[in-house]
Amino acid sequence: MDVNRIREDFPSLQQKLDGKPIVYMDSACMSLRPRQVIAAMNEYYEKYPGCAGRSSHKFAEKVTEEYSKARTNIAKFIGAKADEIVFTRNTTEGLNLVFNTLLKKDDVVLTTDREHNSNLVPLQILSKKIGIIYKILLSKNDMTFDIDNFQNIMNKDVKLVSVVHSSNLDGYTLPVKDIIKISHDFGALVMLDGAQSVPHKDIDVKKMDVDFLAFSGHKMCGPSGTGVLYGKYHLLEELQPFMVGGDTVAISSYDSHVLLKPPEKFEAGLQNYAGAIGLAKAAEYIDKIGRSNIEGHEIALNEFITEEIKNMPGMNIIGPGVQERGGIISFNINGIGHHDIAIMLDKMANIMVRSGQHCVHSWFNAHKIDGSVRASLYLYNTMEDAKVFIDNLNNIIKLR
Amino acid sequence: MVVCIIALIIFSIAGIWSAKYRQLAKESFGCVFRMMTFRPCISNIDEKIKAKITAKLMKFPTMARFFYKNFKLLSWMFVITFFVSLAYSAYAIYNLVVYGNCEPGTGICIINEGANYFSQFTQLFTCYQAQVIYEIIIVVVVVLLAFKYLKFRTRKQEN
Repeated sequence: MDVNRIREDFPSLQQKLDGKPIVYMDSACMSLRPRQVIAAMNEYYEKYPGCAGRSSHKFAEKVTEEYSKARTNIAKFIGAKADEIVFTRNTTEGLNLVFNTLLKKDDVVLTTDREHNSNLVPLQILSKKIGIIYKILLSKNDMTFDIDNFQNIMNKDVKLVSVVHSSNLDGYTLPVKDIIKISHDFGALVMLDGAQSVPHKDIDVKKMDVDFLAFSGHKMCGPSGTGVLYGKYHLLEELQPFMVGGDTVAISSYDSHVLLKPPEKFEAGLQNYAGAIGLAKAAEYIDKIGRSNIEGHEIALNEFITEEIKNMPGMNIIGPGVQERGGIISFNINGIGHHDIAIMLDKMANIMVRSGQHCVHSWFNAHKIDGSVRASLYLYNTMEDAKVFIDNLNNIIKLR
Repeated sequence: MVVCIIALIIFSIAGIWSAKYRQLAKESFGCVFRMMTFRPCISNIDEKIKAKITAKLMKFPTMARFFYKNFKLLSWMFVITFFVSLAYSAYAIYNLVVYGNCEPGTGICIINEGANYFSQFTQLFTCYQAQVIYEIIIVVVVVLLAFKYLKFRTRKQEN
């Protein structure tokens, strides 16, 4: 994997700020976009900016064809069929769609103690609104998933197990193969929050046998405001959409309608065609490089960084061992505020990381930790980035 | 948090000319308001100011460490000095308005009516305050020269 060659594809990395290069380590929040994705979106806006599936002119035919191709490419990206792919705005929308259309009163949902708010707050609201029951599975002391506890808690009353695949808190990847097997043995469905896993790992939904998978385009070099919900076709058929309107109905009269089949019945209104086309291009771009190569690259960088920083005075790295954390390093330094660290890294050397509670407020509040600094790596980060990060962190540590 | 008071004044004035500072002035106001009601600042503008200044001082690690560790104390000192000097300035303006620029009793005036601007300016240096003015000018020049020298040395080291 020629990282320097890959970096040339990213226009945002070619600039310098205050005379210094950019060290972007916030891909878990938003990844950068290669020019191929930008060009694909621009081509839509410049060459065929029509709406799909409605009009009969050349623009409309072209965009209909490209939109359909985009769906097929995304399906191939995760090993699914095209009619199992619903385009959404982000992972949050995908998760909310399933929660709000699948769950009924007294349904039991299991989730973990390290979930993004998007996989927790909807359950809290539904618990009050319609009376679902949700239970939190606590992690072990080493912050790994407690599969034994999960097996003990599972029973036939559980309707849905909705868990994060790779955590945005610390990069830890749950043993989803075992989780899915145990869940299915008890007749429960499984939904994965794949926001941090799909961009970084080879995913095959058929091999995993997962029932629903939601992920975001903007975390995999795709456009902002794009995402995908995968669902097994027969499950999508049974779900009722929670947002309907144009392009979700085959026909309507003043007092009735006939919904289209999935995925169209979930895609109300004019869609983000540029986004879908750009997302498909991003998937193609990533697959050309190879996600296993990307994952290997991130882990190698993370190992290097972790080895250098773990013994720094006052350093606390959140999460299990580096091999299980992918490309994410979440940490605190005693005596220095996490927001201060992030601001100083940015001011000193254009090192862009995130600080705060990373939308996992529940975990931080439960552990009485104010927040952390999170550096998240991706295919365009280099060893040079890692060294600059470590050097500047060394300087910041001296403030203690 | 106390630094928000100064931030509010500075950003409000700067915001007259630049939209960039109006948002900062708004955040500072929010912080000051919450401080007056004994609540913590939500916007963390005080933390941002602290971190940004510390980052700029990182070229001088000892100074950066001192500033970071003693930010609260330095903020209080800065705010108190600011308001004390504001009070003295207000007092000086009051005296100017009430008594004019001539000292009662001796009749010595800072600015003579009818004299040209240059001689009025040079008159300033004939008063006992001239010594203070000289000292201020010397301090400012020395600080500027020291800053320039340190900047030049740091750039030389980087190259």
